Amino acid sequence: MRVTRRGFTALGAAAIGGATAIGGTVLGGRPARSTEVKLTFYYPIAVGGPITKIVDGYAKRYSELNPGVVIEPVYTGSYQDTMTKTLTALKGGNPPHLAVLLAVDTFTLYDEDAIVPFDELVSSEADRAWMRSFYPAFLENGAIDGKTWGIPFQRSTPVLYWNKQAFVEAGLDPERPPATWDEQVEFAKKLTKRDAAGNVTQYGIQIPSSGFPYWLFHGLVIQNGGHLMNEAGNEVYFDTPEVIEALQYQVDLARKHGVMAPGIIEWGTTPKDFFERRTAMMWTTTGNLTNVRNNAPFPFGVAMLPARKRRGAPTGGGNLFIFKRANEAERKAALGFVRWLTSPEMAADWCIATGYVATSPAAWETEAMRKYVAEFPPATVARDQLQYAKAELSTHENQRVTKVFNDGLQAALTLAKTPAQAMKDAQAEATRILAPYR
Amino acid sequence: MERSIQAIYGWLLALPACLLLAAFTHWPALASFLDSFWSTPKGRRPSQFVGLDHYRRMLVDDPIFLQVIWNNLLYALITVPTSILLALAMALLVNERIRARGLVRLAYFTPTVLPMVAAANIWLFFYTPGYGLLNQILTAFGLPDTNFLGSRDTALWSVMVVTIWKEAGFFMIFYLAALQAIPPVLEEAARLEGASHFVYLRRVALPLLMPTTLFVLVNALIGAFRVVDHVVAMTQGGPDNASALLLFYIYETAFRFWDTGYAAALTVVLLLVLGSISVAQVRFLDRRIHYR
Amino acid sequence: MPEVRIERLAKRFGTTVAVDEVSFTVENGSLAVLLGPSGCGKSTTLRLVAGLETASGGRILVDGRDVTGLPPPARGLAMVFQSYALFPHLDVARNITFGLEVRRVPKAERAARLREAAALLGLEGLLHRKPSELSGGQQQRVALARAIVAQARLCLMDEPLSNLDAKLRQEMRKEIRELQRRLGMTMLYVTHDQVEAMTMADRIVLLKDGRVEQVGTPAELYAKPATLFAAAFLGTPPMSLLALEDGPEGAVVAGSDVCVLPGRPGRGRVLGLRPESVRLAREGGHRAVIESVEFLGADSHLACRIGRERLLVRASGHLDLSTGAEIGLAWPESAVHLFDAGSGRRLEVV
Ligand SMILES: Nc1ncnc2c1ncn2[C@@H]1O[C@H](COP(=O)(O)OP(=O)(O)OP(=O)(O)O)[C@@H](O)[C@H]1O
Ligand SMILES: [Mg+2]
Repeated sequence: MRVTRRGFTALGAAAIGGATAIGGTVLGGRPARSTEVKLTFYYPIAVGGPITKIVDGYAKRYSELNPGVVIEPVYTGSYQDTMTKTLTALKGGNPPHLAVLLAVDTFTLYDEDAIVPFDELVSSEADRAWMRSFYPAFLENGAIDGKTWGIPFQRSTPVLYWNKQAFVEAGLDPERPPATWDEQVEFAKKLTKRDAAGNVTQYGIQIPSSGFPYWLFHGLVIQNGGHLMNEAGNEVYFDTPEVIEALQYQVDLARKHGVMAPGIIEWGTTPKDFFERRTAMMWTTTGNLTNVRNNAPFPFGVAMLPARKRRGAPTGGGNLFIFKRANEAERKAALGFVRWLTSPEMAADWCIATGYVATSPAAWETEAMRKYVAEFPPATVARDQLQYAKAELSTHENQRVTKVFNDGLQAALTLAKTPAQAMKDAQAEATRILAPYR
Repeated sequence: MERSIQAIYGWLLALPACLLLAAFTHWPALASFLDSFWSTPKGRRPSQFVGLDHYRRMLVDDPIFLQVIWNNLLYALITVPTSILLALAMALLVNERIRARGLVRLAYFTPTVLPMVAAANIWLFFYTPGYGLLNQILTAFGLPDTNFLGSRDTALWSVMVVTIWKEAGFFMIFYLAALQAIPPVLEEAARLEGASHFVYLRRVALPLLMPTTLFVLVNALIGAFRVVDHVVAMTQGGPDNASALLLFYIYETAFRFWDTGYAAALTVVLLLVLGSISVAQVRFLDRRIHYR
Repeated sequence: MPEVRIERLAKRFGTTVAVDEVSFTVENGSLAVLLGPSGCGKSTTLRLVAGLETASGGRILVDGRDVTGLPPPARGLAMVFQSYALFPHLDVARNITFGLEVRRVPKAERAARLREAAALLGLEGLLHRKPSELSGGQQQRVALARAIVAQARLCLMDEPLSNLDAKLRQEMRKEIRELQRRLGMTMLYVTHDQVEAMTMADRIVLLKDGRVEQVGTPAELYAKPATLFAAAFLGTPPMSLLALEDGPEGAVVAGSDVCVLPGRPGRGRVLGLRPESVRLAREGGHRAVIESVEFLGADSHLACRIGRERLLVRASGHLDLSTGAEIGLAWPESAVHLFDAGSGRRLEVV
């Protein structure tokens, strides 16, 4: 299949090349390029803004800078859709050359033998230096067997947003966000408002728990000194005391302290709840920074997540992957494109355009970034939090293990199970799923 | 000779349809059946014959499967009769000579023509805790705010309500068509014989609607096991699988977990369910309810 | 058995006047036929009597009791519809006893009355069939049985035979008439078929455009049609109508010098002659030209022309005449009908 496709493409290219050559001779024009490399590039959209236009612009610019390489960006829907399309294309023997996919899907791609590690692609010392230039926390999810399979591209991390006006009304210092778990509860209690009938009109805090509750919860686990999985992605630690305690804390926010809405809190409507003063503080991704900046009808602050034993947050977002099916020339061209796309200038440009965290310290030193930070200081919070960040939950059979964990979290949050029981069950199930990988 | 040429001609005419049916229905069904005895192939782990392992896993090792089946049964048991009864009631009402009949018909039919995702969006707003329409009403009456899609007690029911809201209008069209096919002279005859409107409905109209009811029932049942978009759009099966249904679980297994072997086995179960409903339809509907 | 009296009954649908001040009486135990062309308001009149439509004006009296505002079941009548209106999901027996069940007639009595009605109409072998398994004639009988079993005092029928073939129709006509006589029912019967009306009716109510044209026995309507419309509507073949003009010696047929009414004025008048009362004159008679000859077996129809008018002659046996031939026609004075061309009213021949 693959041979046929490539053979056919090559043949087609040759034929076209021949035709242009003849045309060139007749008209006396430039000699035709017969060594052109075409790269298909799948990318998802997960944040607002004219992403398609930006990506198309990048592709065009790169081709102009590098004659002989043509990047064909293909918008493929959400992360989930992009993964589905990529794997379907892979099984059909026709994967893209390059794709932006969730960092946590690295294991899945690895198990499908779909991607090549960058260590095998780089040749020069400069290349190797480039691979070391990213924030280590962002590289964690891309590492298996001591090799780097994904290069950080559109990465994020959760932060705490607070409503300064609500703080003032509650008699709190509007410039001082909670720094610890206890403070977080204490502040939230002061911020929670009830009407005459006892119904809550404004909650103190909101930590969304729909869809992928594991991500924000992972922050609590890291802060509590725990972690969810090993680096090899074949072991999880769901039923450790650190995790159970963290879950108890999240359950208590709603059930014991009454400072957070009970049950499952929608990820999607949480920013709106914040704007509508249904909650005075919220945890959500840095990716919402621009959204909050544009829509909050009150002054707000952005802070690192509060600490328990330490500060902590998971990373999130997408990496760049290069697929194994690509031939030598294509791999080389793809690497060149990835290097260019993650260069400090481009990383800064992407960060400013989208709100994702720029992936290397050098990017923050660029002219453009300095200007941006000066204008909008909250942008640095995510960067500064990176020193405390860890890889987000990612294992073999990732989607399934994550689902088991999510189900456990939701069971506890909806009081179907105690935190200890929910985590014990999730641990057992995940261990069963991961058994073949040990 | 003539005859056999005719037969060949007939088969040739049927061939495109046969090929399409075979390529897109029979072959995938058969392939799923065969795949269900093999483990999921992965780039680094080729597929192995596992016999009935997938089926054993369903029954013994997979509480989610059992929950999903239970959810789906409950879903069918509630949504099917409710939407049929509602559809019938609405059709009877709309069929009467009431004022602004066209407008009322349109109003009832709107949910049906609305794309599911648009409908789901409307309902997501209704269900939103805090400022969602339903909760605004609840709190206006001093009732506590309810997280409809976010608690396990209400999530499945909330999805059911949307289904009923959407299906009832659709089924109403069938009933309306059937009601209009009943000659009005039958009601006049019944009235002359001393039957009230209610007696006419019970003894004449309803029995005459039986074929429609069965048709709708079978379609609704099959529909109930083929639902996926409502769930995807509204709850993603959550919380903790409280609103997950069979097809959604298959979708998740196949296209999120990429466990195609197990998904094939689940598909076989779904095919069995749908198949038995169809068989019941053919045996029951065709035998019993036929007047003309 | 009741007498039915219709007084100035009217029905309007929006701007359409379907029934316009209709009055007539159906005597106790008699059969009256509502006759008229399509759209003249027969069905509407019947449905007004049944209570299926509300009257816009006038009264309906059954045995002197005003039933105009009563709901259908309170009027104590039965009705047979053109389409029979059998319930498709019920078998013959349940169709017949539907009304009895609804009215909670005890089971034993129901069974007895069903037996009786079924026997009367020869339906005994068909009681467990569904309507879809019956022929048109059988369905018709079931509809009749349903009307009879109610033992209603008054029975209404709206073109009950129009879905049957000609032969069956003839048989059913007789049967219905017999049944009506035997049970002594008062019956109001709608048809647009004048033969049906002539053969069955005690009295015919002839309608046109929602108005009563003439009421009378079939013989009266035949012998003395009150209007041009009645004259043309009844009888097969219908009465020939010839426009008259003034001639030197009296009324002549328009466009000719054939004097048909010597010494009397002709202008504005129409002469009516039934084909059967005109004969061929061996000599003399009024001159006419043969336009066509139709041989029907027992007799022949001659289409003749006098001046601008046409005239039909019914002569017995086979005639050896060819088109274009000139013949003499004669008729007795008593066979002459005279109408006013303007009003269409009958004029006495003086
Ligand atoms: N429900 C109605 N709405 C409006 N107009 C009507 C309605 N029913 C009857 N009409 C009109 O009233 C007039 C009389 O109708 P009706 O049915 O009584 O005629 P009919 O004598 O029974 O004719 P036919 O021999 O064709 O059955 C017609 O012009 C008809 O169009
Ligand atoms: Mg009629």
